[in-house]
Amino acid sequence: MRLLLIISLRNLFRQKRRSALLGAAIAIGMAILVIANSFSHGISDLLFNRILAFVSGHVSVAFTQNGNAMRPYFRDGERLMETARRAFPEGSRVTEGVGLFSRAIGNGRSDNVILVGMDTRSKATKKQVADLKANFRMVQGRYEDLQRDDIENPVLVASDKAEYLKLRLGDAVKVRFQDIYGRSQAASLTVAGIFHPANVFMSAPVFLDLRVVRRLAGYGQHDIGQIYVTMPDPKAHAVEAADRLHGMLHPPLAAAFGRLEKAARGAGAQSAGVQAAVGRRAGTQPAAGEASVGQRAGAQPATVLGFRVDSSSLSGLSRLLKPYLPAAMDSLRRTDVLIDHALADSLGLHVGDRCLLRYRAKHDTGEGVADLKVTAVLADNPMVSGHAILVNDKDFYAFYYAEWPLAPTREQGAFLPDSGNALYPFLCREWNLLPRTRTTEELRRKYQDIPGMKSHATTVDVQTMYESASMVVKLEYALNLITLAAVLILFFIIQVGVINTLRMTIRERTREIGTIRAIGMQKSSVRSIFMLETFFLAWFACCAGLALAFVGMALLHLIPFHMEGNPLGMLLVDGHLYFKSNPWGIIAYLALILAIAVGTAWFPSRRAADLPAAEALRHYG
Amino acid sequence: MNIIEIRGLTKDYPLGKTIVHALRGIDLSIAKGDLVSVMGPSGSGKTTLLNVIGCIDLATAGSVKIGDRELTALDDKQVTDLRLHRLGFIFQTFNLIPVLTSTENVEFPLLLQKRLDRKEIRRRAEKLLDDVGLSEYRRNRPSELSGGQRQRVAIARALVTHPDIVLADEPTANLDSATGASILEIMKEMNAREQTTFLFSTHDKNVLKYARTVVNIKDGLIDGN
Repeated sequence: MRLLLIISLRNLFRQKRRSALLGAAIAIGMAILVIANSFSHGISDLLFNRILAFVSGHVSVAFTQNGNAMRPYFRDGERLMETARRAFPEGSRVTEGVGLFSRAIGNGRSDNVILVGMDTRSKATKKQVADLKANFRMVQGRYEDLQRDDIENPVLVASDKAEYLKLRLGDAVKVRFQDIYGRSQAASLTVAGIFHPANVFMSAPVFLDLRVVRRLAGYGQHDIGQIYVTMPDPKAHAVEAADRLHGMLHPPLAAAFGRLEKAARGAGAQSAGVQAAVGRRAGTQPAAGEASVGQRAGAQPATVLGFRVDSSSLSGLSRLLKPYLPAAMDSLRRTDVLIDHALADSLGLHVGDRCLLRYRAKHDTGEGVADLKVTAVLADNPMVSGHAILVNDKDFYAFYYAEWPLAPTREQGAFLPDSGNALYPFLCREWNLLPRTRTTEELRRKYQDIPGMKSHATTVDVQTMYESASMVVKLEYALNLITLAAVLILFFIIQVGVINTLRMTIRERTREIGTIRAIGMQKSSVRSIFMLETFFLAWFACCAGLALAFVGMALLHLIPFHMEGNPLGMLLVDGHLYFKSNPWGIIAYLALILAIAVGTAWFPSRRAADLPAAEALRHYG
Repeated sequence: MNIIEIRGLTKDYPLGKTIVHALRGIDLSIAKGDLVSVMGPSGSGKTTLLNVIGCIDLATAGSVKIGDRELTALDDKQVTDLRLHRLGFIFQTFNLIPVLTSTENVEFPLLLQKRLDRKEIRRRAEKLLDDVGLSEYRRNRPSELSGGQRQRVAIARALVTHPDIVLADEPTANLDSATGASILEIMKEMNAREQTTFLFSTHDKNVLKYARTVVNIKDGLIDGN
């Protein structure tokens, strides 16, 4: 092999001009490929890793109430945060994200802004701190001033936004917004810092400490806005980790177990039909006219379960329960509260009566209370084996989310149907987990479909930035494809060059081929000499092309662009083109070019190897 | 004992639309260790005969044996191996590999054989270059050598594997008479020392004195021994 390498390498330098010309063509092709790939990868990196990752993490878990994205909260936040921490690899950062759309009023001017909460108190790696500093290049004030308590609601504002709103350091800026309950609110913020935005996306938001935004938006102690996860090498692992997290977030059956008692007739100002009470925080007093606290005599242990009210579930459950419903009821209604016969009898409950379930709350030491109005009594049936009430979706979640119940167990005597129970598919879960999607279009359709679910459960959606902005991936892919197509034309020319060069070389070296064959070199070795020559030529040319590409990118990066107000400005970083080389892309192009060159060399090399030695020795070229 | 046995050898090859009958039925036996000159005018079939014996051309008909191996029964790989291990070649135009130095050219067949280690290969090559009087030109490439020096390198290359037979096709045709004489002297000396069979073609009657056996060939037939 060493002999073949020596001969190939030395032959390469024998025809300097020819090798140089062909090598230059390959080098230029390689340089174009690398520059174009770095540019498209730069766009992708800019949008994903510097903007989207910063704004919404590589992976996010989003929550909505009734499909309303303006109501992003989840009541049992720490539980999901803990699950997320377990789902992601070491080095990942799981944080809470809160954003609030608002109208900011500056000094004589107003503008729409997003109030973004920054988790300034959780631990961050050196890289995360470096990324943060790269995004917040402070012109005035300090990033750390967000944590100051002596300033009223300190905020960091981008320099162009501050200029537009005519804000200076220390100025107050009023904001109007809706909190997570849909109530209009106003607050006064103080400009604690002004930073130079690294890209156009950093201009729109104003940044506050996470605790401040939570307070303004009305989040409770156990509520959470969204979960943002940043992780090492997201391109390789984000989708897989999101799928894993999704698998871990399948919701369990929702049930409240406590003591049920009959409420005094006429108590509580309930509207017509079946009404559910709102759970009540520990320590608060019962509403006027309610029966007193659950330990009183006559209270019975009972489990409250919710049933789904989408058309398909409702008709399925109707068919299932029809034999056990009162004769007057044709089918189940979306507003029904069904109590089982034994429980109704033991409490003397009849249709139209109100009852109260007092249950242990998860987050407080006190109780939650569900105020329910019975609409039907279920006859004895094999599906309900304990004291149970089936409550429609709306009324069920109304008390469930108001005071999250402590998870009941069968040991306590709770009726918790397993998956073998015919009722099971129709019962409410603790939340609705949305299916995973792969593209922005699928994601959009998924959110469009939420109202059709007819559910009041909080929706939980796990998504990666690659599907929330899959068009960026497509853009990168399309740019690479266009570049590749253009360069393939160039490589067709190179192929012709390689073939012609080799044909000339073989013609010139025919006697030499005859000699080495006569001495005893096998055909395969002769073939290898020519293929190695082409391989080395392509290899050196690619290396030169790579160097050329990096020099080219450095020079292009030096050119300043003034794109203020132009959407194409999003492709710039600090007014300059942004390139990010992709090592795997470069390796792939290198492999492609080498494969094309060597593949092209195969046929002429084989022809050289197949030359009859005697004929080759007779050749005079 | 004969190292070469040829019976009824014919070789035809096409030349445009006609067929050239280069060899028309040759019978020839050459003893091991002989120094044979194949004499004949241009176009008589000398080179074709050497090519067929050297397995770089195929016979149209007849039998050619090198030792006990019948060449017509071998495939390309076996024939190539036979050339590498049992034959050495010296060409009229030297045919050295231009990108290799004198030493590397001599080492070339041994490197292809892969039987000896690098040190032994280098030692043998340098020894042979010394024997042909080129110790000062070990690092020179062919383009830096004279015709005589190149042919000496070619002789060293042909002998380095200790072949059974060395085939030399008009080895002195491109050399002046003094250099040609020195080359033939070296071949004669090597023949005497190594007992290698030498078979060289020539049309120069002055070189006959170096041969022990002379085979005359004319119009593709043996014309006398």
